[in-house]
Amino acid sequence: MKKLGAGIAIVVLGALATIGLASCGGGDTSGGGGNGQQGGILNATYASFPDYMDPALSYTVEGWTAMADVYIPLLTYKHANGEEGSEVIPGLAKEMPKISNGGKTYTLFLRPGLKYSDGTPVKASDFPASVERMIELNSPGSPFYLTIEGAEKFAETKKGPLPGIKADDKTGEIVINLESPRGTFTAELAMMFVSVLPQDTPVEDLSADPAPATGPYMITKSQPGKGWEYQRNPYWAKANGEAMPDLPEGVVDGAKVTVVRNEQSQVDDVERGVYEWMQNPPPSSRYAEVKEKYEGSQFRVEPTISTYYFWMNAQEPPFDDVKVRQAVNHAVDPRALERIYAGQLSGSQQILPPGMPGHKEFELYPYDLAKAKQMVKEANPSDMDITVWTDTESPNNEAGEYFNEVLKDIGFNTTLKLVNADNITTITGNLSTPNLDAGWSNWYEDYPHPNDFLQPLLAGESIQPTNNYNFGQFDDPAINKKIAELAEEQLGPEQEEAYAQLDEEIMELAPWAPFGNRTVSTFVSDEIDLDSVIFNPTFGHYLSSFEFK
Amino acid sequence: MPTEPSAERGQWSLALRRFVRNRLALAFLGLFSLIVAFVLAAPLWANHVAGTGPNEEHTVEQITVDGEKKDVVTVEGKPIGPQWLAADGKFFLGADSRLGRDEMVRLMYGGRTSLLIGLSAALLATILAVILALLAGYFRGWVDGLIARTLDVIWSLPVFLIGLSLGIALAVGGLKIGPLELSSGSIWNPIIVISIFTVPYIARPIRGEVLAYSEKEFVEAAIAQGAGPLRVMFSEILPNLASTIIVFFTLMIANSMLFEAGLSFLGAGVQPPNSSWGTMITTGVELLRIQPLLAILPGTMIMLTVLSLNIVGDALRDALDPRGKARMDAALEFEAQGGTAGSRQGTALG
Repeated sequence: MKKLGAGIAIVVLGALATIGLASCGGGDTSGGGGNGQQGGILNATYASFPDYMDPALSYTVEGWTAMADVYIPLLTYKHANGEEGSEVIPGLAKEMPKISNGGKTYTLFLRPGLKYSDGTPVKASDFPASVERMIELNSPGSPFYLTIEGAEKFAETKKGPLPGIKADDKTGEIVINLESPRGTFTAELAMMFVSVLPQDTPVEDLSADPAPATGPYMITKSQPGKGWEYQRNPYWAKANGEAMPDLPEGVVDGAKVTVVRNEQSQVDDVERGVYEWMQNPPPSSRYAEVKEKYEGSQFRVEPTISTYYFWMNAQEPPFDDVKVRQAVNHAVDPRALERIYAGQLSGSQQILPPGMPGHKEFELYPYDLAKAKQMVKEANPSDMDITVWTDTESPNNEAGEYFNEVLKDIGFNTTLKLVNADNITTITGNLSTPNLDAGWSNWYEDYPHPNDFLQPLLAGESIQPTNNYNFGQFDDPAINKKIAELAEEQLGPEQEEAYAQLDEEIMELAPWAPFGNRTVSTFVSDEIDLDSVIFNPTFGHYLSSFEFK
Repeated sequence: MPTEPSAERGQWSLALRRFVRNRLALAFLGLFSLIVAFVLAAPLWANHVAGTGPNEEHTVEQITVDGEKKDVVTVEGKPIGPQWLAADGKFFLGADSRLGRDEMVRLMYGGRTSLLIGLSAALLATILAVILALLAGYFRGWVDGLIARTLDVIWSLPVFLIGLSLGIALAVGGLKIGPLELSSGSIWNPIIVISIFTVPYIARPIRGEVLAYSEKEFVEAAIAQGAGPLRVMFSEILPNLASTIIVFFTLMIANSMLFEAGLSFLGAGVQPPNSSWGTMITTGVELLRIQPLLAILPGTMIMLTVLSLNIVGDALRDALDPRGKARMDAALEFEAQGGTAGSRQGTALG
């Protein structure tokens, strides 16, 4: 998942005393793991408004965190910290899908009696309608679902219905037929993009007027750029909570989220109790201070399954030459980036991060600036002018500045372009933007499967005119074939080993210069029970897990 | 008829005597000269003392301080503080950020950028303003109406907000108009933005003076002798505006520097990795709690420079044009009356 703001993402460790919350059902009013107060309104702050407040469109941690307890897909993730939170469990579906026809058919049944927050019954046929809406909106998530029969054609013509999904409202049966087996499809059914919405939901961005909820909370007010508010979904207590006992109903009665773009102010406000939680980590300049002062009581480090990297445009000179890309990898020093990220990043030079199946440590490009300069000199590229793209948020801006100077050091003429963090992926993901030569980016897992890092970011088929996440437009036929073949298989030890080899094989071609894996944090005011807060590897902090002491 | 040379020399020497008598102005002129010398010495300090350029990063390096190795940036991302002369002048004022650049070197180079922008923007704005004021004040009629209304429109805009938007647009996309092409990181982007929005502040009062001068006998005499509009404007009227222009120019340097600092602080002025005092404040603010000097130093430099220029500018005004206030009032009164006295082409619209 692309992370746009200062960031949060996703975890793996944690494991604090919050299991009670994760396991409590709809009827359990405690919701969390502590002995805190029931009710109250949580005052929270984000550093930026999510990219979209529409589950079909959002592709940022901010968006998914904001909507995790509002929109429930057919499958979802266990409300738990760390690895336990990577377990896919039934959401609106009664049970996990039955996979047949050689991995090409997925059969699920909708739980009976479910209702949206406006009182409308949830129907099985809402699911295909929601998938169609998502594709019609050109969602960045649509590539995950193009293996559904007829989806490619539907994406081109925008004319339905989508033949690959059959739904029976009477029995609640939903049958999904794929063109070819897809080992990641179960995890993809748990993504926010395919949350179930009413069939009459307008095919437009609903960020300012969010759709009815199926989760324990509904969004009652949304002002893009400023903030939004939650209240309890009245139909959770009446219907959905009972039908989905594995999902908690939450402790607080609602929440008010305010966008405060100054991260320093956010820290001050949380310290003073103006806000009870800040979604993004404290700024790097305050990180050590906050950690030292509050760790254990109000602050917790959350490792993420993420990779931070510099991309290079492999389609055009100078980075169409593998020698030049390899030289850049030798010139980037992960130790410098560790300092720039103020100790919130562990240096690494590979694609798959620790915690992701298939991760196996290797070091192909030890730091050697002299060697890098020599390699560039030998390659003698025809174009030495490079534009470097990064966003304006600290420390990403400094990482971009660092990369800019590295490229200068090895002989290139560079221009640094800093773009507002809200727009960076829109701009660098639009192939018509001029001078897309190189830049900073990062990726957090969408689901615990290595294909999530390889297919959307490095497969040739993922290159799109807009909403493109293969920023370097890397397109190697042999690599494409291997990614596609592995994606068809269900993940096991053999596949994990194959992914580890593929990671190294891709890095030999050096499409990126990866530089590390990020940690983030939970920082709450002294009124919140830190132990109860759940940080899920995919969705980040669950609103339903917050409780006042 | 041009101003009589001997009278002109007398006027300038009288102004100099008046200026020299202003001890406060002399002191601040001295301070401003020191600041200029400080920033001009940047390459000397960078090459012979600090041994690093303004954008060179030393993130993972160590320096020897009193025989002991110290990280330029700690693993937690804390930049080294001022070392004064303990490291032979290296990191005299510490490192600027987690990128480990030498703060002293950046302060000197940043000052060059800030002064260059202030000077260039003020010069460009002054040239544009004088031309527009001469055209409007001399020709009057529809020319005056068009120029005066355009200046009014710019004047009525929320200057900083529009400047900010324009600055960001130029900082991201650069500028291409016909043969004129500016890259997104060009120093000319903030210069153009600042000069566009400061033109009315100079042009309007000068236009008033042009209106007043154009009624004087020496102008009428020149016209009677067959002088064309260009000669009248640039040979007859312009020399008489010199003192006003000098005063405005001086004050506009200070204003432009403040404008640049504001734009750069908000990311719409000088673009990284280049430094100006404004961008250095932005970087410093983030580290205010752990290295307060990083924001205080460039802020102090801006304050001292602007204060010096304002005091020198005020003293110049007093020295060059002791009756300036009375004359300005007269010009404004003239303008308020519609500029009808002896008008050649109808009423002034300003």
